[in-house]
Amino acid sequence: MRESEGMEELVRMEHIYKSYGRVQALRDVNLTVRRGEIVGLLGDNGAGKSTLIKVLSGAVPSTSGDIYIRGRKVQMKSTTDAIANGIETIYQDSALVTQLSISRNLFLGREPIKGPRFLGRMDMEEMDRVARDLLKKVGITKNIPPSTPIGSLSGGERQAVAIARAMHFDSDLIILDEPTNNLGVAETQGVLRFVRGARDSGHSCIFIAHNIHHVFQVVDRIVVMRMGTVVADNIDPKSSSVEEVERVITGMEHDAA
Amino acid sequence: MENRTVLQQMISRPEFGPFVLLIAEILVFWAINPAFLSPGNISNTLAFTVELGLIALAMTLLMTSGEFDLSVGSVFGFAPVVMWTLFNSGTTSLEVGFLAALLIAAGIGLFNGVFVTRLKIPSFLVTLGMLLVVRGSALFITSGFPQRTWNAGDQWLAEVLVGDFMVGPFRLYMSLFWFILAAVLLHYLLTRTKAGNWIQAAGGNPNAAMARGVNVVRTKLGLFMLSSMLAAFAGVISSIRTSAANPNSGTGYELEVIAMVVIGGTALAGGRGTIIGTVLGIFILRVMRNGIVLIGVPGLAYNIFIGAIILGMMALHSWLERRHNAGV
Ligand SMILES: Nc1ncnc2c1ncn2[C@@H]1O[C@H](COP(=O)(O)OP(=O)(O)OP(=O)(O)O)[C@@H](O)[C@H]1O
Ligand SMILES: [Mg+2]
Repeated sequence: MRESEGMEELVRMEHIYKSYGRVQALRDVNLTVRRGEIVGLLGDNGAGKSTLIKVLSGAVPSTSGDIYIRGRKVQMKSTTDAIANGIETIYQDSALVTQLSISRNLFLGREPIKGPRFLGRMDMEEMDRVARDLLKKVGITKNIPPSTPIGSLSGGERQAVAIARAMHFDSDLIILDEPTNNLGVAETQGVLRFVRGARDSGHSCIFIAHNIHHVFQVVDRIVVMRMGTVVADNIDPKSSSVEEVERVITGMEHDAA
Repeated sequence: MENRTVLQQMISRPEFGPFVLLIAEILVFWAINPAFLSPGNISNTLAFTVELGLIALAMTLLMTSGEFDLSVGSVFGFAPVVMWTLFNSGTTSLEVGFLAALLIAAGIGLFNGVFVTRLKIPSFLVTLGMLLVVRGSALFITSGFPQRTWNAGDQWLAEVLVGDFMVGPFRLYMSLFWFILAAVLLHYLLTRTKAGNWIQAAGGNPNAAMARGVNVVRTKLGLFMLSSMLAAFAGVISSIRTSAANPNSGTGYELEVIAMVVIGGTALAGGRGTIIGTVLGIFILRVMRNGIVLIGVPGLAYNIFIGAIILGMMALHSWLERRHNAGV
């Protein structure tokens, strides 16, 4: 019996269809994420993983289907809607402004104001203080000043900043689409550690990666997609092998999990 | 990174190159012709420099947000034409004419902004079209003739905008005060405020900014309006100082202003901007124009120097940028 079973349901996607013209990218997909759970989403190139999470994060509209958050039906018309509903998506690089510093990125759009509101002066000390705290929390031990521009951070450190931001603003669900792409061994371990840290403080995650070993190291449950549909949604990484999952992904075996 | 010396930190700032260049320029011109630093020459140079400078300050913010405005030169010429046509014809008082000119400028900026943000047409094309429309309007209204000059001596508005006074041997204009005020305010806005953070984010990564709830469209609309209004303000000041509202004035200013901004270290592609750098860039170009006259370089050769400075500074900024990205 897996520990996540019986936990409170956070997100439920029902009968999601998505077509791009004649391409049917998603066909009757159902996906549930519970609170405090890390779901690994696997599937070959073009299986529909990114499309599914784009629908969930408001980046593309679904053709049909419903999304429920904490049991309440919601419309995801834009990424802003998703963020307001506590869903944060992290793509490599794209979520941050490279020219701005760590603390300015953390608070972008929600800058704390000091003094009279109409002057709009940012409370930089507060921003820097929180930034330092958060970097420690996600496990960056190196002493990086919060005034460092994102552009001079490594890929892994950028992921850490994005994850830290999601944690600070209490996103319930953090979606990571291939966050370990192009990262070295140490950096990858770092990102996996940040993901575990986020789960330990009560956040749920959807983790997409092609490296099954990375997925095995951190997730509670594996969902596999193939050609636009979910072919397995309850694989326990503790009781399955990498080879078994590989066979489900490629479709060589239909009765896994 | 923490144990760099103060000197190293200074050198790695984007404003350092322009600063050194400005000092070098001043020293060279002064060494060749001491009259360069005479009170008369300084007063003359300052008077026109700050008028162009006002436009460059607004352009800095606009370019930081990832857009630019080629219509500023024509607005510089058009706004005073509107103001003086209204006043000379007896339709309105000078004050109302002034407000009307600023409002029309705001409308021009808003129009630019809406075309760029809503219709997603590049600002190069939108503001190029606007340049022609506005310049054409100025020529049409005046039939191509400069507006009648007037006696602005008894107008308090003229005194407030460009009244002159002596500080020791220097003749200074009120416009210098307006320039300093605008520079301080816009520097504060860009570096310390939420709006400044939004401006940089809008230019750096608009999609990421929008996803965080930053209103990129409204930020850019505001900056297009600011750019037009400061161009109009500068045009009015210039018309009062020179006692002429020429429908052709301001021709070519847009390129000179953009050059000032990029020389100062603001990124043409947006995301990074510096008011301090722009102030240096303004003086670098104006000092160069003034200095080469004084040391006797033939007039036809001016643009060789101006162009060389622009190219040289671009090379420097790109080198600094690469060093910066490499984490040096
Ligand atoms: N904007 C689009 N226009 C047309 N077709 C698209 C678009 N985006 C995705 N598709 C198609 O939808 C299908 C699913 O793509 P998706 O990006 O979701 O796959 P994925 O599982 O994320 O693959 P990968 O592992 O390679 O990232 C593919 O056939 C793809 O070609
Ligand atoms: Mg994908």
